[in-house]
Amino acid sequence: MSTTDRIGQFFTWLCGGALALNLLLVVGLLLLIGMHGLAYFWQSGVAELQLRGGGRLLGEIHGVEEVPADEAAWEGEQRMRMKIGNRDLYGLDFRWVRESEVEAVTYPEDVVLLERMEWGNFYGRMLELRQAGEVVSRGADSVWSAFPAVHASKMEERAEIEALEAGPIGDVNYQIERLRLDQRRADLEGGADAADRARFGRSETELNQRYESLATQLFAMRDRLADQQVVMEAATGERKAIVVGEIVRCLRPNAMGAIDSLLLYFSRIWEFVSGSPRESNTEGGIFPAIFGTVMMVFLMSFAVVPFGVLAALYLREYAKEGPVVRAVRIAVNNLAGVPSIVFGVFGLGFFVYLIGGTIDQIFYPEALPTPTYGTGGILWASLTLALLTVPVVIVAAEEGLAAVPRIVREGSLALGATKFETIWRVVLPAAAPGILTGMILAMARAAGEVAPLMIVGMVKLAPSLPIDHHFPFVHLERKFMHLGFHVYDVGFQSPNVEASQPLVFATALLLVAVVVAMNLVAVVVRNRVRRGYSTSAV
Amino acid sequence: MDRNSSASSSLDGPVDLSASRALAIPDRRTLADRVAGFVVRAGGIGIIASILAILVFIVAEVAPLVDGAVVVPGARISTLHDAKALSIDPYKRLVAWLDAAGVVRVTDLQDEETIEERPVAPDSTMVAALADPDGQFLGLLDDSGRIELSPVSWRVGFEDGQRVVGGDIGDAVRFELSDVALVEPFTARMVGDGSQVVVSRTADDRLVAFRRTREINEFTEEITESDSRSFTAAPSEIARLVVDDEQEHLFGAGPDGRLYHWNLYPRVSAVPDVTLIDGDITALNLLLGGRALVVGLADGGLQVWYRATREDGSHGLTLIRQFPPQPAAIRHIAPSRRDKGFVAVDDSGMVGLYYSTSERVLWRGSAGVESIGAIAVTPKADGILLAGSRVLSVLDVDNPHPDVSLWSLFAPVWYEGYDEPDYVWQSSSGTDDFEPKYSLTPLLIGTFKGTIYSLLLAIPLGVLGAMYVSQFMHPRLRNIIKPTIEIMAALPSVVLGFLAGLWLAPRVEESFSTLILMVIAFPLVIVGTGLLWERLPVNWRNRMPLGSEALAFALTLAVAGAVCVAFDDTFEALAFGGNFQAWLRNMTGLHYDQRNAVIVGLAMGFAVIPIIFAISEDAFSNVPRNLVSGSLALGANRWQTVSRIVLPTASPGIFSAIMVGFGRAVGETMIVLMATGNTPIRDWNPFNGFRTLSANIAVEIPEAPQFGTLYRVLFLAALLLFIVTFAVNTAAELVRQRLRERYARL
Repeated sequence: MSTTDRIGQFFTWLCGGALALNLLLVVGLLLLIGMHGLAYFWQSGVAELQLRGGGRLLGEIHGVEEVPADEAAWEGEQRMRMKIGNRDLYGLDFRWVRESEVEAVTYPEDVVLLERMEWGNFYGRMLELRQAGEVVSRGADSVWSAFPAVHASKMEERAEIEALEAGPIGDVNYQIERLRLDQRRADLEGGADAADRARFGRSETELNQRYESLATQLFAMRDRLADQQVVMEAATGERKAIVVGEIVRCLRPNAMGAIDSLLLYFSRIWEFVSGSPRESNTEGGIFPAIFGTVMMVFLMSFAVVPFGVLAALYLREYAKEGPVVRAVRIAVNNLAGVPSIVFGVFGLGFFVYLIGGTIDQIFYPEALPTPTYGTGGILWASLTLALLTVPVVIVAAEEGLAAVPRIVREGSLALGATKFETIWRVVLPAAAPGILTGMILAMARAAGEVAPLMIVGMVKLAPSLPIDHHFPFVHLERKFMHLGFHVYDVGFQSPNVEASQPLVFATALLLVAVVVAMNLVAVVVRNRVRRGYSTSAV
Repeated sequence: MDRNSSASSSLDGPVDLSASRALAIPDRRTLADRVAGFVVRAGGIGIIASILAILVFIVAEVAPLVDGAVVVPGARISTLHDAKALSIDPYKRLVAWLDAAGVVRVTDLQDEETIEERPVAPDSTMVAALADPDGQFLGLLDDSGRIELSPVSWRVGFEDGQRVVGGDIGDAVRFELSDVALVEPFTARMVGDGSQVVVSRTADDRLVAFRRTREINEFTEEITESDSRSFTAAPSEIARLVVDDEQEHLFGAGPDGRLYHWNLYPRVSAVPDVTLIDGDITALNLLLGGRALVVGLADGGLQVWYRATREDGSHGLTLIRQFPPQPAAIRHIAPSRRDKGFVAVDDSGMVGLYYSTSERVLWRGSAGVESIGAIAVTPKADGILLAGSRVLSVLDVDNPHPDVSLWSLFAPVWYEGYDEPDYVWQSSSGTDDFEPKYSLTPLLIGTFKGTIYSLLLAIPLGVLGAMYVSQFMHPRLRNIIKPTIEIMAALPSVVLGFLAGLWLAPRVEESFSTLILMVIAFPLVIVGTGLLWERLPVNWRNRMPLGSEALAFALTLAVAGAVCVAFDDTFEALAFGGNFQAWLRNMTGLHYDQRNAVIVGLAMGFAVIPIIFAISEDAFSNVPRNLVSGSLALGANRWQTVSRIVLPTASPGIFSAIMVGFGRAVGETMIVLMATGNTPIRDWNPFNGFRTLSANIAVEIPEAPQFGTLYRVLFLAALLLFIVTFAVNTAAELVRQRLRERYARL
């Protein structure tokens, strides 16, 4: 082989290497997210470390690494990251343990892991179960066997409390707020007369009384919830009485068999996708974020599909092809390349401040200065994203329309159909898969987009979903939670970044899975569209 | 009856019936067709227009930034006496003024009624008067050598939903020396807790600084006042004095062009710093914050001076900027209490409104007031109060964005407290007298820095990968590889940012040398794998689809990557003495941040690769087959064909791909937000963080009040992003179109 051939061969290999590296990056990244995300739900064993200096530690071992170079005294040693939990006792969830400190590692079966509503996990051993201060059972095994029944009844009580809070109490609060606004509105509209005032006063006292009685009921239920406690002993010897009603789950991780572990795994996944967040989003589920994302994406599709298709119809079927239409087409295409944050800024200035502010002044003057529509909300977020994604839909719909063969149209026209009938009955149905592709791509883009939404309506923790049982049921002005923002917020803004990182991986996995699945569906539909026409055209 | 027979029967039927049907049915349908056509046209044009109106809206939000001030005459009342010192309430309703007879009055500007009247020094004649820049007192020096300060306070309340403003004049506070009279010039200053500093010349040519400190015991609410005084020699020609808000510095001016500076705390310094300036000083005042000295000159010139480190290393008053001169000698200068703006009045009666930071002349004009004896800026900086001969006149000022100019947004600006002009972005701070610094330059540099580092990764990987896929790979493999790369494009950037910031950055910080090792090792591994591949039996290789060696490369690269990670310690010890960061600091003096440009380059490069890949793959694979076949037929081998024929033909497409990739990287927000420290610094060190225009918008706009300067500056940043990406993408699209035409011709 000549030298030039040889060099050419090397360059070819380098090109191949570049491609291989790209593939490695994609696959590696997906694997990384997938592994970390799925590992989040897995319960590993709880290790008990006997330390050389005396003392013990309980916790999950989260990896081993070399002691960093700046701690010269321990250079060359290995250390492990332990999740020791018990945040109320130790302050931190994680600590480092050097291997030279450890005398022995065991996995005792009687170690109990409590997942709690607050303060994170507790690792320790059960000592006694108390009811109203009286000891009901004592000793690790007897408490363990008595616990499930007590816990189940407490969970029922807890569910009742939550139902009370979300149902009647929420309703009364809502009505009180409505009453206040009605009163304010009546005042603004030239003042309420005496009869009105009396009526407002009556309903106000009535509502307040109802609230009082409900609140008393709630406090009583809360007190009852708190009167059963389990006393735990941490590895370091501290004792802690934990209210049974505050415990989400109670496990003996080291005593679990394979089936129990799997069941636990799936129950955690279920809790993750269906539960509400706890501890400022760092624990619990992400249901509100999933709900917010889905609702926002669908609202956006309602806006973007008709408008996008209308614009595409105009460009492809009605406008006269010429330099102007070509320029408009290029401009619309290139709008897809304009950074999303620019749309966010536009959404803030135009939708939120201009349109929303005007709506508030006309329709909600009683709530001012608290803005109703004049602040970020799910409607404005959806419309902003609709603007962002409308070029995607226009391009895909145009492509779909262009792919409908001439013969089909001419056939329809030759049969006496008008232009509109041809489009409505023949062209659009044939182009529907193309439009569908555009819609799916737009939805995928919208689901993954975060930057503009940070400006126009996403929040860390939304108090209520945008849909509930209060009239008018759909509250488009409300702020909402979003998977992508959840990743950003919990990953970077949460007080306990280290402890919440696994959860962020799980959220990221969900988001990536949704977005990638949507894209794959779009690819499949697109391929089918292309194939479909090639046969129908003949 | 089915449809066919109905149609035929109508054809066979009487002519008039068929005609009426033919007219009746199509009529409705044509109408529907026309309506639909109209709706689609109107809707389509409307939608496209409204999409394009985004640009118009953003421009409209930015435009007011460059508008000047709008000044209109406001309230004007005549008085019985000439006012010598002024204070005005925040709502421009009441004025407290001191006349030449030493009487302080509070007058309502609307009904011209004098609400309160209080003689301060009834048995003596006034020599000079002054007003506190914050409007907290009016002061006078009388011919018996005493200084009297009359506190002025404004009350704002609501009665029946109406705003009611009231004014109070407190008991005058007297400053005097028992042995010697105080003479001109004098100055005084009061701070929030009531502590006062008064500096005056004495008849025996000294300067005396009185300091009256009030301390309020928080528990007993007892007020303890302590007095101190200190002396220094007065320069013979001293004509003007001014004390800063902190009561720590005293500035003075002589008509001969000398500027003096004394330290005032705890005692006035014995010897002043003297700075000689070119021109006769006719007015002197300090801007808000007390650091910037505005000097008015006899020739109408206006200069701003700060204390800064000069080129020779000494520290002292330095000329910062000059404004275009007014027609006559500057007589009065009054600072704004909101920002770094000020008003100057000259002997010709011309009033000028200026802003120091942005170096802008916001407005100049005549107030129509003869012989102006005193001026004041309203507390909200929305008006100028002028006192002429027996008249008080207000100019209403609408001046929303004085603090930026196009120049100050991009060019270096000499800010207060800096030793030289600089590009700084710092939009807010804790203090009221903060000077906002809106320089987009560090953000532009950050944007390009991130873009360049990510393109450094994305261009080679994207273009070479695309070349391989399109030229050296069997279509069957290609159909698997391309969607895989497309998935890369679909990954949400927030996930990439999260991985970069929280997973990659700490690992790279721990062993940066691994990256270096990989950069060295990977090409060698590829070539080595290729050589091994060649050794495989020919019939094995022939059985696999063309391009399978890329999969072999992926395998060996994965192994090589793992080996690099495993042997990083050895490599770091050999090459960098065991610690890359320390080595970097010693060899280059560069500091290593955990979240830096390299991390962003990797993460954003990852996001850009699929874009560059897709467009260049398109360009490569659309090179007309006949060119390639011709080249091969003439005996060129595959690589020669690719490098001499395919690459040059497709090069505009690759250029276009790089431009689109550039556009994507410029506007990317979440990755840079999460993978850098977001510090707006201006350097090209790859191991430092930075802040981009887009991240800056995301960080700051939630805090920016609507229609404020920051809000509009952020809209300007968005506009820049819009224009840059739109222009780049359009150019790329045009290049691609021409390429397509060329391909069609070939």
